[in-house]
Amino acid sequence: MKILAHSYVCPKGTYLNGKRVFDTGEEENPFKSAYQQLGVEYPKFYKMDVLSKMAFIGTELLLPFLPKEVDLENDLQLIFANSSASQFTDNLFIDSYEQLNNPSPSLFVYTLPNIVTGELCIRHKWYGENCFFVEEAFNPGHFSEWTQIGLNKGNNVCLCAWVEAKTNGEQECFLFLLTDSEHADNSIELELSTLIKQYRNE
Amino acid sequence: MHKPVYIAPLSLVTPLGNTVGQHIEAFEKGVSGIQIFEKDGFQDTPIALAKRAEISSPNRYDQLLRGALEKAKEQLASKPLENTAVIVSSTKGNVDLLPGDTFAETQAIIHEFFPETDVFIISNACVSGVIAINTAADYLLAGKYDHILVIGIDAVSEFVSYGFQSLFALSNETCKPFDKSRNGTVLGEGCGIVLVTTEKPADFAVLYKGGSSSNDANHISGPSRTGEGLVRSIEKTLKRSGLTAKNIDFVSAHGTATVFNDEMESIAFGRTNLDQVPLNSMKGYFGHTLGAAGVLETIMSIVSMEQNTLFPNLGFKETGTSVPLNVIQRIESKELNTVLKTASGFGGGNASLILQKQS
Amino acid sequence: MSDLKENLKAQIIEQLNLEDLTPADIQDDAPLFGDQGLGLDSIDALEFIVLLDSNYGIKIADPSEGKEIFQSVNTLAAYISKHQ
Repeated sequence: MKILAHSYVCPKGTYLNGKRVFDTGEEENPFKSAYQQLGVEYPKFYKMDVLSKMAFIGTELLLPFLPKEVDLENDLQLIFANSSASQFTDNLFIDSYEQLNNPSPSLFVYTLPNIVTGELCIRHKWYGENCFFVEEAFNPGHFSEWTQIGLNKGNNVCLCAWVEAKTNGEQECFLFLLTDSEHADNSIELELSTLIKQYRNE
Repeated sequence: MHKPVYIAPLSLVTPLGNTVGQHIEAFEKGVSGIQIFEKDGFQDTPIALAKRAEISSPNRYDQLLRGALEKAKEQLASKPLENTAVIVSSTKGNVDLLPGDTFAETQAIIHEFFPETDVFIISNACVSGVIAINTAADYLLAGKYDHILVIGIDAVSEFVSYGFQSLFALSNETCKPFDKSRNGTVLGEGCGIVLVTTEKPADFAVLYKGGSSSNDANHISGPSRTGEGLVRSIEKTLKRSGLTAKNIDFVSAHGTATVFNDEMESIAFGRTNLDQVPLNSMKGYFGHTLGAAGVLETIMSIVSMEQNTLFPNLGFKETGTSVPLNVIQRIESKELNTVLKTASGFGGGNASLILQKQS
Repeated sequence: MSDLKENLKAQIIEQLNLEDLTPADIQDDAPLFGDQGLGLDSIDALEFIVLLDSNYGIKIADPSEGKEIFQSVNTLAAYISKHQ
């Protein structure tokens, strides 16, 4: 298994393969700024929740690294996880009926963490397998297991993400593309642990 | 072909009872767990729900979970399992823990009954249950564990009720899957546990043949008009199982009774040549139990296979989909060897799995 | 009436998160839904129902009524004027 590319999105900035590509540290609306710097035309971006916005930006940067010989439409698998599910939007939804007296349908549809993967599939026309796990913390060993299982079933490339948005302000999205490699590579877990640590310390 | 993977029901706790036997009785009598609650809707309005009377708010999730775990533990008492993991399927976890983490206590509760098991949680909208069973089988075939308990669970809550009301997705009377006069779904709650294992169980069990998921790539809450994702999942699942549509004896569909979902499913079943296969949705009995649905309905599909019985699709009187389906309208005996279970959910998710009797 | 329409445009932009638009971008008679319009979808239609209730105290019980009412800023303003 090998890492084809990786990206990281957080309020401070957006990074691709370890280098910062957008500086949004001073922005009042960092993800809007990153989206505008991305230069793509996708008005639906503005309706997305925080998880989807971060994953959208990070995934756009990974597109050039997707293998050309793979049937991306059917064989690209999305495996996403976090520790708080859709907590950030859940609390906004509760406010909409407790404070504003009108439960908001556009907030409610984002009170499921897997909507992130749905948004990406719509954007990129990916019809393959998706799964969202809730875990205590980022566990690269689990991502490695899930990806290997997917590869064995014929899902030739896996877009993985640890994407978190908590009401206390913690927001991050670490995305990485995994695929098979000829050499047995046991260092994937160490590599992933190191990468997320480096990004978090940026 | 891979080594055999077996699935056996362990426990089932819903408004219809807290044993599989009680559920068989309810299904045989055509009993529904759905009732009207005069003040449970937003701003104290009436709402139809399937709520378990024996538990109370808050923390309904915890009570359902403990109730089912206790029964599952009793079932397994004589044969303690080694090298076992647990996979939980739930859309929301315990919403009473908000603003904190709704899944924060899940592992600890499971460890009260099955200590030291690795616990995985899948939160993937209404397809979580089917995906969880598929994932369990995948893990067993990869040799990581010998047994996996798959727990499907969701509880009724204001959070979810108000949300579905804001979408105008609820019926104010009851759930009528595939029926001409269907006008929305009804939310329900429950917890079901199945054992997925590579060791042939002593009690009745069926074989897991294969499964898959697929995204519609169309809309985050509305289903694809062409049933694209469901078609692709069914085709992938049949291929992975080495079977064709002709082999399927019964389809346990998703059938939420919203106008759009059931229409989409009918188109998908038409496109995959399953429109003549006896089919039901169980939402008329359970309501729509979201993250629990895939597991609860798989349990009752296994029961159907054990008894060679087709249970009727409660609430159905007249075809209401552009592709007419072979909706089961009365209890019938039929040899059921191979069964397809499907699910669809928010986020464009679709998932399916195939069960087969051991020969 | 024109004040109402200008207010509506600002409210629509806020309620539906149309952050890339300003009120000047929304013509009074332009279709709001569909490919020719702002590309709004079924969830947006439901948010319109919330908007009418929160901002104008008008309750719509059946979302299918929305098709006519939410066609454009003109039809929306006309409906509000009639029902307030």
